[in-house]
Amino acid sequence: MKCTLGGNEVLSHISRLYGAEATEAVKGYTPMYCSGSFTEVYLVKPQLLEAVEAVLRSGRIPYFAGMYGGRLRSAKPEFIPSHVLVERIYEFLGHPIRAVKAIEQGIKVILYGRDLLAESVASCFEPVELGEVVSVIGPDGYVYAIGLSTTSSCEEIAKLRKKDVVVRSVFDLGWYLRGGTVPREAKYKL
Amino acid sequence: MPQSYTKLLEEVGRKVMKAVSERARAIASKFGFLEYMVVRYHEIFGDWSEVTELLEAFEKPLVKAIRINTLRFKSVGEVLERLEKLGYELSKIPWDRSSYIVVRAGRVSLGATHEFLLGGYYLYRGVASLIPPLALSPSKLDRVLDSAAAPGGKTTHLAQLMDNEGLIVATDISRERFRALRTNLERMGVENVVAIRVDSRRIPEIFGEYFTKSLLDAPCTGEGIIQLDPSRKTKTSFEDLVRAHKKQVELLMATIRATAPGGRVVYSTCSIAPEENEFTIAEVLESLSNVRVVRTSTAVDFEPGVTEYFGVELPEQLKLCGRTYPHKHGFEGFFVCVLEKEMK
Repeated sequence: MKCTLGGNEVLSHISRLYGAEATEAVKGYTPMYCSGSFTEVYLVKPQLLEAVEAVLRSGRIPYFAGMYGGRLRSAKPEFIPSHVLVERIYEFLGHPIRAVKAIEQGIKVILYGRDLLAESVASCFEPVELGEVVSVIGPDGYVYAIGLSTTSSCEEIAKLRKKDVVVRSVFDLGWYLRGGTVPREAKYKL
Repeated sequence: MPQSYTKLLEEVGRKVMKAVSERARAIASKFGFLEYMVVRYHEIFGDWSEVTELLEAFEKPLVKAIRINTLRFKSVGEVLERLEKLGYELSKIPWDRSSYIVVRAGRVSLGATHEFLLGGYYLYRGVASLIPPLALSPSKLDRVLDSAAAPGGKTTHLAQLMDNEGLIVATDISRERFRALRTNLERMGVENVVAIRVDSRRIPEIFGEYFTKSLLDAPCTGEGIIQLDPSRKTKTSFEDLVRAHKKQVELLMATIRATAPGGRVVYSTCSIAPEENEFTIAEVLESLSNVRVVRTSTAVDFEPGVTEYFGVELPEQLKLCGRTYPHKHGFEGFFVCVLEKEMK
Protein backbone atom coordinates (compact mmCIF):
# COMPACT_ATOMS: atom_id res chain seq x y z
CA MET A 1 0.00 0.00 0.00
CA LYS A 2 1.27 3.45 -0.93
CA CYS A 3 -0.35 6.83 -0.22
CA THR A 4 0.23 10.08 -2.05
CA LEU A 5 -1.16 13.55 -1.50
CA GLY A 6 -2.45 15.79 -4.29
CA GLY A 7 -3.80 15.27 -7.79
CA ASN A 8 -7.16 16.13 -9.32
CA GLU A 9 -8.37 12.72 -10.46
CA VAL A 10 -11.14 12.49 -7.87
CA LEU A 11 -12.29 16.04 -8.61
CA SER A 12 -12.57 15.14 -12.30
CA HIS A 13 -14.82 12.22 -11.38
CA ILE A 14 -16.96 14.36 -9.08
CA SER A 15 -17.29 16.93 -11.85
CA ARG A 16 -18.14 14.26 -14.44
CA LEU A 17 -20.79 12.62 -12.24
CA TYR A 18 -22.32 15.53 -10.38
CA GLY A 19 -21.29 18.62 -12.36
CA ALA A 20 -18.45 21.12 -11.98
CA GLU A 21 -20.35 22.98 -9.27
CA ALA A 22 -20.24 19.87 -7.04
CA THR A 23 -16.46 20.08 -6.69
CA GLU A 24 -17.05 23.24 -4.63
CA ALA A 25 -18.52 20.97 -1.93
CA VAL A 26 -14.99 19.76 -1.18
CA LYS A 27 -13.17 23.00 -1.92
CA GLY A 28 -10.02 23.35 0.19
CA TYR A 29 -9.64 19.61 0.74
CA THR A 30 -6.54 17.89 -0.64
CA PRO A 31 -7.09 14.42 -2.11
CA MET A 32 -5.00 11.56 -0.76
CA TYR A 33 -4.81 8.39 -2.84
CA CYS A 34 -3.89 5.11 -1.16
CA SER A 35 -3.20 2.34 -3.65
CA GLY A 36 -2.83 -1.36 -3.07
CA SER A 37 -5.04 -3.90 -4.81
CA PHE A 38 -7.39 -0.93 -5.32
CA THR A 39 -7.21 2.83 -4.75
CA GLU A 40 -9.01 4.47 -1.85
CA VAL A 41 -9.51 8.23 -1.85
CA TYR A 42 -9.54 10.51 1.18
CA LEU A 43 -10.26 14.22 1.17
CA VAL A 44 -7.96 15.88 3.66
CA LYS A 45 -8.63 19.19 5.41
CA PRO A 46 -5.76 21.71 5.44
CA GLN A 47 -5.16 21.38 9.20
CA LEU A 48 -4.49 17.64 8.78
CA LEU A 49 -1.87 17.96 6.06
CA GLU A 50 1.12 18.54 8.36
CA ALA A 51 0.32 15.35 10.29
CA VAL A 52 -0.24 13.32 7.12
CA GLU A 53 3.07 14.52 5.73
CA ALA A 54 4.85 13.58 8.98
CA VAL A 55 3.38 10.07 8.78
CA LEU A 56 4.42 9.67 5.14
CA ARG A 57 7.94 10.96 5.91
CA SER A 58 8.30 8.29 8.60
CA GLY A 59 7.71 5.60 5.96
CA ARG A 60 4.28 4.72 7.33
CA ILE A 61 0.85 5.25 5.81
CA PRO A 62 -2.26 6.84 7.27
CA TYR A 63 -5.05 4.27 7.24
CA PHE A 64 -7.65 7.01 7.36
CA ALA A 65 -7.33 10.76 6.91
CA GLY A 66 -10.06 13.38 6.68
CA MET A 67 -13.22 12.40 4.84
CA TYR A 68 -13.44 9.00 3.16
CA GLY A 69 -14.18 9.87 -0.49
CA GLY A 70 -14.60 6.50 -2.10
CA ARG A 71 -12.78 4.10 -4.42
CA LEU A 72 -11.15 4.57 -7.81
CA ARG A 73 -11.25 1.74 -10.35
CA SER A 74 -9.65 1.11 -13.70
CA ALA A 75 -12.92 -0.13 -15.27
CA LYS A 76 -16.41 1.36 -15.25
CA PRO A 77 -17.59 2.59 -12.79
CA GLU A 78 -14.27 4.38 -12.47
CA PHE A 79 -15.26 6.06 -9.23
CA ILE A 80 -17.53 4.77 -6.46
CA PRO A 81 -18.14 7.71 -4.14
CA SER A 82 -18.69 7.15 -0.43
CA HIS A 83 -22.18 7.80 0.90
CA VAL A 84 -20.75 10.57 3.08
CA LEU A 85 -19.30 12.37 0.05
CA VAL A 86 -22.53 11.98 -1.90
CA GLU A 87 -24.54 13.43 0.98
CA ARG A 88 -22.09 16.32 1.20
CA ILE A 89 -22.57 17.01 -2.51
CA TYR A 90 -26.38 16.81 -2.28
CA GLU A 91 -26.36 19.17 0.67
CA PHE A 92 -24.19 21.61 -1.25
CA LEU A 93 -26.28 21.41 -4.43
CA GLY A 94 -29.50 21.56 -2.44
CA HIS A 95 -30.97 18.53 -4.22
CA PRO A 96 -30.01 14.96 -5.15
CA ILE A 97 -28.91 13.88 -8.62
CA ARG A 98 -28.02 10.41 -9.96
CA ALA A 99 -30.33 8.99 -7.32
CA VAL A 100 -33.51 7.07 -6.64
CA LYS A 101 -35.62 7.56 -3.57
CA ALA A 102 -36.89 4.26 -2.17
CA ILE A 103 -39.89 3.45 -0.01
CA GLU A 104 -39.23 2.08 3.51
CA GLN A 105 -39.62 -1.55 2.36
CA GLY A 106 -36.98 -1.00 -0.33
CA ILE A 107 -34.54 0.41 2.22
CA LYS A 108 -35.07 -2.62 4.47
CA VAL A 109 -34.22 -4.92 1.58
CA ILE A 110 -31.20 -2.98 0.37
CA LEU A 111 -29.74 -2.92 3.91
CA TYR A 112 -29.47 -6.72 3.63
CA GLY A 113 -27.18 -6.22 0.65
CA ARG A 114 -29.84 -6.95 -1.96
CA ASP A 115 -30.68 -5.01 -5.11
CA LEU A 116 -33.42 -2.40 -5.37
CA LEU A 117 -36.48 -3.43 -7.37
CA ALA A 118 -38.74 -1.18 -9.43
CA GLU A 119 -41.66 -1.69 -7.03
CA SER A 120 -39.63 0.00 -4.25
CA VAL A 121 -38.82 3.20 -6.15
CA ALA A 122 -40.72 6.28 -4.99
CA SER A 123 -38.97 8.84 -7.21
CA CYS A 124 -35.94 9.26 -9.43
CA PHE A 125 -33.44 12.07 -9.97
CA GLU A 126 -31.72 12.46 -13.36
CA PRO A 127 -29.24 11.90 -14.80
CA VAL A 128 -29.31 8.14 -14.48
CA GLU A 129 -26.87 6.27 -16.68
CA LEU A 130 -26.66 2.56 -17.47
CA GLY A 131 -23.83 0.89 -15.49
CA GLU A 132 -22.92 4.09 -13.67
CA VAL A 133 -23.23 4.91 -9.96
CA VAL A 134 -26.58 5.85 -8.50
CA SER A 135 -27.48 6.60 -4.88
CA VAL A 136 -30.35 5.02 -3.02
CA ILE A 137 -32.01 7.58 -0.76
CA GLY A 138 -34.40 6.71 2.03
CA PRO A 139 -37.72 8.47 2.72
CA ASP A 140 -35.79 10.52 5.33
CA GLY A 141 -33.43 11.91 2.66
CA TYR A 142 -30.28 10.09 3.85
CA VAL A 143 -28.18 7.99 1.45
CA TYR A 144 -28.46 4.29 2.38
CA ALA A 145 -26.66 2.68 -0.52
CA ILE A 146 -24.59 3.25 -3.62
CA GLY A 147 -25.22 1.00 -6.58
CA LEU A 148 -25.14 0.72 -10.35
CA SER A 149 -28.06 1.74 -12.51
CA THR A 150 -29.66 -0.85 -14.80
CA THR A 151 -31.40 1.86 -16.80
CA SER A 152 -30.41 4.89 -18.86
CA SER A 153 -33.04 7.28 -17.57
CA CYS A 154 -35.69 7.78 -14.90
CA GLU A 155 -38.31 7.44 -17.60
CA GLU A 156 -37.15 3.88 -18.28
CA ILE A 157 -37.72 2.92 -14.65
CA ALA A 158 -41.40 3.73 -14.96
CA LYS A 159 -41.64 1.18 -17.78
CA LEU A 160 -40.07 -1.70 -15.84
CA ARG A 161 -41.98 -4.56 -14.26
CA LYS A 162 -42.34 -4.55 -10.46
CA LYS A 163 -39.67 -7.19 -9.84
CA ASP A 164 -37.11 -5.80 -12.27
CA VAL A 165 -33.85 -4.62 -10.70
CA VAL A 166 -33.36 -0.85 -10.85
CA VAL A 167 -30.17 -0.54 -8.78
CA ARG A 168 -27.60 -3.29 -8.45
CA SER A 169 -26.20 -2.78 -4.97
CA VAL A 170 -22.47 -2.11 -4.63
CA PHE A 171 -22.36 -0.79 -1.06
CA ASP A 172 -25.06 -0.37 1.56
CA LEU A 173 -24.94 0.83 5.15
CA GLY A 174 -25.87 -2.66 6.38
CA TRP A 175 -22.23 -3.54 5.66
CA TYR A 176 -21.38 -1.80 8.92
CA LEU A 177 -23.23 -4.65 10.61
CA ARG A 178 -22.30 -7.48 8.27
CA GLY A 179 -18.66 -6.78 7.60
CA GLY A 180 -17.62 -3.45 9.03
CA THR A 181 -15.54 -4.64 11.93
CA VAL A 182 -14.45 -8.12 10.86
CA PRO A 183 -13.67 -9.17 7.30
CA ARG A 184 -16.79 -11.25 6.72
CA GLU A 185 -17.85 -9.46 3.59
CA ALA A 186 -15.97 -7.23 1.14
CA LYS A 187 -16.98 -3.60 1.29
CA TYR A 188 -17.79 -3.24 -2.40
CA LYS A 189 -19.47 -5.92 -4.47
CA LEU A 190 -17.34 -5.20 -7.53
CA MET B 1 16.44 9.94 46.55
CA PRO B 2 14.05 9.04 43.73
CA GLN B 3 12.15 5.82 44.27
CA SER B 4 10.72 3.47 41.70
CA TYR B 5 7.04 2.88 42.31
CA THR B 6 7.27 -0.02 39.87
CA LYS B 7 9.84 -1.66 42.16
CA LEU B 8 7.69 -0.93 45.22
CA LEU B 9 4.93 -3.02 43.63
CA GLU B 10 6.97 -6.16 44.42
CA GLU B 11 6.77 -5.26 48.10
CA VAL B 12 3.07 -4.46 47.75
CA GLY B 13 2.52 -7.88 46.19
CA ARG B 14 4.09 -9.60 49.19
CA LYS B 15 2.00 -7.55 51.63
CA VAL B 16 -1.20 -8.30 49.71
CA MET B 17 -0.61 -12.04 49.95
CA LYS B 18 0.18 -11.77 53.67
CA ALA B 19 -3.01 -9.82 54.30
CA VAL B 20 -5.33 -12.61 53.14
CA SER B 21 -7.52 -13.27 56.18
CA GLU B 22 -10.31 -15.74 56.92
CA ARG B 23 -12.84 -13.00 56.25
CA ALA B 24 -11.22 -12.15 52.91
CA ARG B 25 -11.29 -15.84 51.97
CA ALA B 26 -14.98 -16.13 52.85
CA ILE B 27 -16.00 -13.04 50.85
CA ALA B 28 -13.81 -14.02 47.89
CA SER B 29 -15.31 -17.49 47.88
CA LYS B 30 -18.88 -16.17 48.12
CA PHE B 31 -18.48 -13.94 45.04
CA GLY B 32 -16.02 -16.17 43.16
CA PHE B 33 -13.09 -13.72 43.22
CA LEU B 34 -9.41 -14.42 43.79
CA GLU B 35 -8.53 -13.73 47.42
CA TYR B 36 -5.79 -11.20 46.67
CA MET B 37 -8.29 -8.99 44.81
CA VAL B 38 -10.66 -8.74 47.74
CA VAL B 39 -7.80 -7.86 50.12
CA ARG B 40 -6.90 -4.93 47.88
CA TYR B 41 -10.49 -3.64 47.83
CA HIS B 42 -10.41 -3.65 51.65
CA GLU B 43 -7.18 -1.65 51.53
CA ILE B 44 -8.89 0.95 49.31
CA PHE B 45 -12.17 1.24 51.27
CA GLY B 46 -11.03 0.22 54.77
CA ASP B 47 -14.39 -1.39 55.34
CA TRP B 48 -15.59 -4.94 54.59
CA SER B 49 -19.21 -3.90 54.15
CA GLU B 50 -18.19 -1.55 51.35
CA VAL B 51 -16.14 -4.33 49.77
CA THR B 52 -19.29 -6.45 49.75
CA GLU B 53 -21.27 -3.59 48.18
CA LEU B 54 -18.67 -3.34 45.41
CA LEU B 55 -18.75 -7.06 44.73
CA GLU B 56 -22.55 -7.09 44.70
CA ALA B 57 -22.51 -4.19 42.20
CA PHE B 58 -20.17 -6.19 39.95
CA GLU B 59 -22.92 -8.83 39.73
CA LYS B 60 -25.41 -6.40 38.18
CA PRO B 61 -25.51 -5.81 34.42
CA LEU B 62 -24.15 -2.52 33.10
CA VAL B 63 -26.57 0.00 31.70
CA LYS B 64 -26.01 0.73 28.04
CA ALA B 65 -25.61 4.28 26.85
CA ILE B 66 -25.60 6.09 23.53
CA ARG B 67 -23.93 9.31 22.47
CA ILE B 68 -25.86 11.13 19.77
CA ASN B 69 -23.57 12.12 16.91
CA THR B 70 -24.33 15.65 15.81
CA LEU B 71 -21.71 15.40 13.06
CA ARG B 72 -24.15 13.28 11.03
CA PHE B 73 -27.54 14.38 12.34
CA LYS B 74 -28.40 18.03 12.60
CA SER B 75 -29.83 17.74 16.09
CA VAL B 76 -29.90 15.45 19.10
CA GLY B 77 -33.70 15.79 19.07
CA GLU B 78 -33.98 14.29 15.59
CA VAL B 79 -32.24 11.06 16.64
CA LEU B 80 -34.14 10.88 19.93
CA GLU B 81 -37.45 11.24 18.14
CA ARG B 82 -36.55 8.48 15.69
CA LEU B 83 -35.48 6.12 18.49
CA GLU B 84 -38.60 6.85 20.53
CA LYS B 85 -40.68 5.85 17.52
CA LEU B 86 -38.86 2.49 17.63
CA GLY B 87 -39.94 2.04 21.25
CA TYR B 88 -36.77 3.17 23.01
CA GLU B 89 -36.93 4.98 26.32
CA LEU B 90 -33.84 7.07 26.99
CA SER B 91 -32.74 9.09 29.98
CA LYS B 92 -30.35 12.04 29.73
CA ILE B 93 -26.94 11.69 31.34
CA PRO B 94 -26.72 14.95 33.32
CA TRP B 95 -22.99 15.51 32.82
CA ASP B 96 -22.86 15.15 29.03
CA ARG B 97 -24.96 17.21 26.66
CA SER B 98 -25.45 14.54 23.99
CA SER B 99 -25.52 11.21 25.84
CA TYR B 100 -28.37 9.06 27.12
CA ILE B 101 -28.84 5.93 29.19
CA VAL B 102 -30.98 3.28 27.57
CA VAL B 103 -33.83 2.76 30.05
CA ARG B 104 -35.90 0.47 27.82
CA ALA B 105 -34.85 -1.24 24.59
CA GLY B 106 -36.92 -0.84 21.46
CA ARG B 107 -38.08 -3.25 18.79
CA VAL B 108 -34.80 -3.28 16.85
CA SER B 109 -31.46 -3.87 18.59
CA LEU B 110 -29.41 -0.72 19.05
CA GLY B 111 -26.61 -1.86 16.76
CA ALA B 112 -29.01 -2.57 13.89
CA THR B 113 -31.24 0.50 13.66
CA HIS B 114 -31.11 2.73 10.59
CA GLU B 115 -30.01 5.52 12.92
CA PHE B 116 -26.95 3.52 14.02
CA LEU B 117 -26.02 2.61 10.44
CA LEU B 118 -26.37 6.25 9.43
CA GLY B 119 -23.88 7.19 12.15
CA GLY B 120 -26.51 8.81 14.36
CA TYR B 121 -24.99 7.52 17.57
CA TYR B 122 -22.19 5.58 19.18
CA LEU B 123 -23.24 2.69 21.37
CA TYR B 124 -21.43 2.17 24.69
CA ARG B 125 -21.49 -0.89 26.93
CA GLY B 126 -21.26 1.45 29.93
CA VAL B 127 -21.20 5.19 30.44
CA ALA B 128 -17.73 5.73 31.96
CA SER B 129 -16.07 5.77 28.52
CA LEU B 130 -17.64 9.19 28.02
CA ILE B 131 -15.45 10.67 30.74
CA PRO B 132 -11.93 10.87 29.19
CA PRO B 133 -12.84 13.08 26.19
CA LEU B 134 -14.80 15.39 28.51
CA ALA B 135 -11.80 15.55 30.87
CA LEU B 136 -9.53 16.42 27.93
CA SER B 137 -12.01 19.07 26.78
CA PRO B 138 -10.50 19.75 23.34
CA SER B 139 -11.31 22.84 21.28
CA LYS B 140 -11.41 23.44 17.53
CA LEU B 141 -7.88 24.82 17.71
CA ASP B 142 -6.25 21.79 19.32
CA ARG B 143 -3.93 19.17 17.89
CA VAL B 144 -5.03 16.05 19.76
CA LEU B 145 -3.32 12.68 20.12
CA ASP B 146 -5.64 9.75 20.84
CA SER B 147 -3.30 6.93 21.75
CA ALA B 148 -4.59 3.31 21.77
CA ALA B 149 -7.69 4.70 20.08
CA ALA B 150 -9.56 1.70 18.65
CA PRO B 151 -12.43 0.93 18.32
CA GLY B 152 -13.02 4.68 18.23
CA GLY B 153 -15.67 5.60 20.80
CA LYS B 154 -13.41 8.23 22.31
CA THR B 155 -12.00 9.37 18.97
CA THR B 156 -15.44 10.04 17.54
CA HIS B 157 -16.46 11.74 20.79
CA LEU B 158 -13.39 14.01 20.58
CA ALA B 159 -14.26 14.81 16.94
CA GLN B 160 -17.77 15.77 18.02
CA LEU B 161 -16.48 17.98 20.86
CA MET B 162 -14.20 19.67 18.29
CA ASP B 163 -17.04 20.02 15.78
CA ASN B 164 -14.95 18.16 13.17
CA GLU B 165 -12.31 20.94 13.26
CA GLY B 166 -8.71 20.94 14.53
CA LEU B 167 -6.72 17.71 14.30
CA ILE B 168 -6.88 14.31 15.96
CA VAL B 169 -4.18 11.71 15.36
CA ALA B 170 -5.59 8.33 16.38
CA THR B 171 -3.23 5.41 16.84
CA ASP B 172 -3.62 1.74 17.62
CA ILE B 173 -1.56 -1.38 17.01
CA SER B 174 -4.24 -4.10 16.76
CA ARG B 175 -5.19 -4.88 13.17
CA GLU B 176 -8.71 -6.07 14.05
CA ARG B 177 -9.47 -3.19 16.39
CA PHE B 178 -8.07 -0.78 13.84
CA ARG B 179 -10.58 -2.04 11.27
CA ALA B 180 -13.35 -1.16 13.73
CA LEU B 181 -11.81 2.29 14.27
CA ARG B 182 -11.73 3.04 10.55
CA THR B 183 -15.31 1.85 10.10
CA ASN B 184 -16.58 3.96 12.98
CA LEU B 185 -14.81 7.07 11.67
CA GLU B 186 -16.39 6.57 8.27
CA ARG B 187 -19.86 5.68 9.57
CA MET B 188 -19.95 8.68 11.89
CA GLY B 189 -18.80 11.22 9.32
CA VAL B 190 -15.57 12.18 11.10
CA GLU B 191 -13.30 14.44 9.05
CA ASN B 192 -10.62 15.71 11.42
CA VAL B 193 -8.79 12.44 12.11
CA VAL B 194 -5.57 10.98 10.77
CA ALA B 195 -5.41 7.33 11.86
CA ILE B 196 -2.18 5.33 11.94
CA ARG B 197 -1.69 1.69 12.85
CA VAL B 198 1.45 1.88 14.92
CA ASP B 199 2.72 0.99 18.37
CA SER B 200 1.77 4.13 20.29
CA ARG B 201 5.20 4.13 21.93
CA ARG B 202 6.66 5.15 18.54
CA ILE B 203 4.57 8.33 18.23
CA PRO B 204 7.23 10.76 19.57
CA GLU B 205 9.63 9.51 16.84
CA ILE B 206 7.12 10.56 14.18
CA PHE B 207 5.77 13.79 15.63
CA GLY B 208 8.09 15.07 18.33
CA GLU B 209 6.38 17.34 20.92
CA TYR B 210 3.51 18.14 18.57
CA PHE B 211 0.18 17.70 20.35
CA THR B 212 -1.54 20.33 22.46
CA LYS B 213 -3.77 17.72 24.12
CA SER B 214 -3.28 13.97 24.43
CA LEU B 215 -5.47 11.12 25.56
CA LEU B 216 -4.26 7.71 26.63
CA ASP B 217 -7.11 5.38 27.50
CA ALA B 218 -4.62 2.68 28.29
CA PRO B 219 -5.01 -1.03 27.64
CA CYS B 220 -5.73 -2.51 31.07
CA THR B 221 -6.82 -5.66 32.86
CA GLY B 222 -10.45 -4.51 33.04
CA GLU B 223 -10.80 -4.64 36.84
CA GLY B 224 -13.56 -2.04 36.62
CA ILE B 225 -15.75 -3.88 34.12
CA ILE B 226 -16.16 -7.26 35.78
CA GLN B 227 -19.90 -6.93 35.01
CA LEU B 228 -18.97 -7.35 31.34
CA ASP B 229 -16.37 -10.04 31.84
CA PRO B 230 -16.97 -12.16 34.94
CA SER B 231 -13.94 -14.30 34.02
CA ARG B 232 -11.89 -11.30 35.24
CA LYS B 233 -12.72 -12.43 38.78
CA THR B 234 -10.16 -15.20 38.50
CA LYS B 235 -8.02 -14.76 35.40
CA THR B 236 -5.58 -12.01 36.43
CA SER B 237 -2.75 -12.57 38.89
CA PHE B 238 -0.91 -9.84 40.79
CA GLU B 239 2.05 -10.42 38.46
CA ASP B 240 -0.26 -9.74 35.49
CA LEU B 241 -1.16 -6.40 37.09
CA VAL B 242 2.53 -5.52 37.37
CA ARG B 243 3.11 -6.44 33.71
CA ALA B 244 0.16 -4.22 32.69
CA HIS B 245 1.54 -1.41 34.87
CA LYS B 246 4.95 -1.55 33.15
CA LYS B 247 3.38 -1.30 29.69
CA GLN B 248 1.10 1.53 30.84
CA VAL B 249 4.13 3.46 32.14
CA GLU B 250 5.83 3.12 28.74
CA LEU B 251 2.70 4.22 26.89
CA LEU B 252 2.12 7.19 29.17
CA MET B 253 5.76 8.30 28.95
CA ALA B 254 5.52 8.22 25.14
CA THR B 255 2.21 10.09 25.19
CA ILE B 256 3.73 12.82 27.38
CA ARG B 257 6.82 13.02 25.17
CA ALA B 258 4.59 13.60 22.15
CA THR B 259 2.76 16.43 23.92
CA ALA B 260 3.86 20.05 23.49
CA PRO B 261 5.12 22.05 26.51
CA GLY B 262 2.11 23.55 28.25
CA GLY B 263 -0.06 20.74 26.87
CA ARG B 264 -2.49 18.52 28.71
CA VAL B 265 -2.57 14.72 28.98
CA VAL B 266 -5.49 12.59 30.14
CA TYR B 267 -4.70 9.08 31.37
CA SER B 268 -7.58 6.69 31.95
CA THR B 269 -8.30 3.00 32.40
CA CYS B 270 -11.38 0.84 32.92
CA SER B 271 -9.70 -0.58 36.00
CA ILE B 272 -9.91 0.21 39.69
CA ALA B 273 -6.49 -1.34 40.39
CA PRO B 274 -4.12 1.22 41.98
CA GLU B 275 -1.30 -0.81 40.40
CA GLU B 276 -2.56 0.23 36.93
CA ASN B 277 -3.50 3.75 37.89
CA GLU B 278 -1.95 5.70 40.77
CA PHE B 279 1.27 3.62 40.64
CA THR B 280 1.52 4.30 36.90
CA ILE B 281 1.09 8.05 37.37
CA ALA B 282 3.46 8.05 40.38
CA GLU B 283 6.18 6.26 38.39
CA VAL B 284 5.84 8.79 35.56
CA LEU B 285 5.90 11.76 37.96
CA GLU B 286 9.06 10.33 39.50
CA SER B 287 10.71 9.95 36.07
CA LEU B 288 9.63 13.25 34.53
CA SER B 289 10.08 16.51 36.38
CA ASN B 290 8.04 18.57 33.89
CA VAL B 291 4.57 17.15 34.55
CA ARG B 292 2.09 17.59 37.37
CA VAL B 293 -1.41 16.38 38.15
CA VAL B 294 -4.26 18.87 37.86
CA ARG B 295 -7.83 18.47 39.02
CA THR B 296 -10.12 16.44 36.76
CA SER B 297 -12.84 18.94 36.02
CA THR B 298 -15.94 17.24 34.70
CA ALA B 299 -19.37 17.28 36.28
CA VAL B 300 -18.88 13.69 37.52
CA ASP B 301 -18.67 13.38 41.31
CA PHE B 302 -15.40 11.43 41.46
CA GLU B 303 -13.82 9.65 44.37
CA PRO B 304 -10.25 10.92 44.86
CA GLY B 305 -7.19 8.98 43.75
CA VAL B 306 -5.51 6.64 46.25
CA THR B 307 -2.46 8.10 48.03
CA GLU B 308 -1.66 5.36 50.51
CA TYR B 309 -1.60 1.68 49.63
CA PHE B 310 -0.17 -1.18 51.68
CA GLY B 311 2.26 1.14 53.42
CA VAL B 312 3.42 2.89 50.24
CA GLU B 313 2.95 6.66 50.31
CA LEU B 314 2.01 7.95 46.88
CA PRO B 315 2.34 11.62 45.83
CA GLU B 316 -0.37 13.82 47.40
CA GLN B 317 -1.26 15.31 44.00
CA LEU B 318 -2.79 11.95 43.01
CA LYS B 319 -5.81 12.94 45.11
CA LEU B 320 -6.72 15.17 42.17
CA CYS B 321 -7.24 12.12 39.94
CA GLY B 322 -10.75 10.69 39.76
CA ARG B 323 -12.13 7.22 40.46
CA THR B 324 -15.57 5.77 39.88
CA TYR B 325 -17.03 2.62 41.41
CA PRO B 326 -20.09 0.65 40.35
CA HIS B 327 -21.63 0.66 43.85
CA LYS B 328 -21.22 4.44 44.20
CA HIS B 329 -21.70 5.78 40.69
CA GLY B 330 -23.94 3.13 39.12
CA PHE B 331 -21.57 2.49 36.22
CA GLU B 332 -18.17 0.94 35.55
CA GLY B 333 -15.17 1.20 37.81
CA PHE B 334 -12.95 3.74 36.10
CA PHE B 335 -9.89 5.89 36.67
CA VAL B 336 -9.05 9.22 35.07
CA CYS B 337 -6.19 11.60 35.73
CA VAL B 338 -5.26 14.88 34.06
CA LEU B 339 -1.60 15.83 33.75
CA GLU B 340 -0.15 19.11 32.62
CA LYS B 341 3.23 19.44 30.96
CA GLU B 342 5.15 22.53 32.01
CA MET B 343 6.04 25.27 29.55
CA LYS B 344 9.75 25.22 28.66
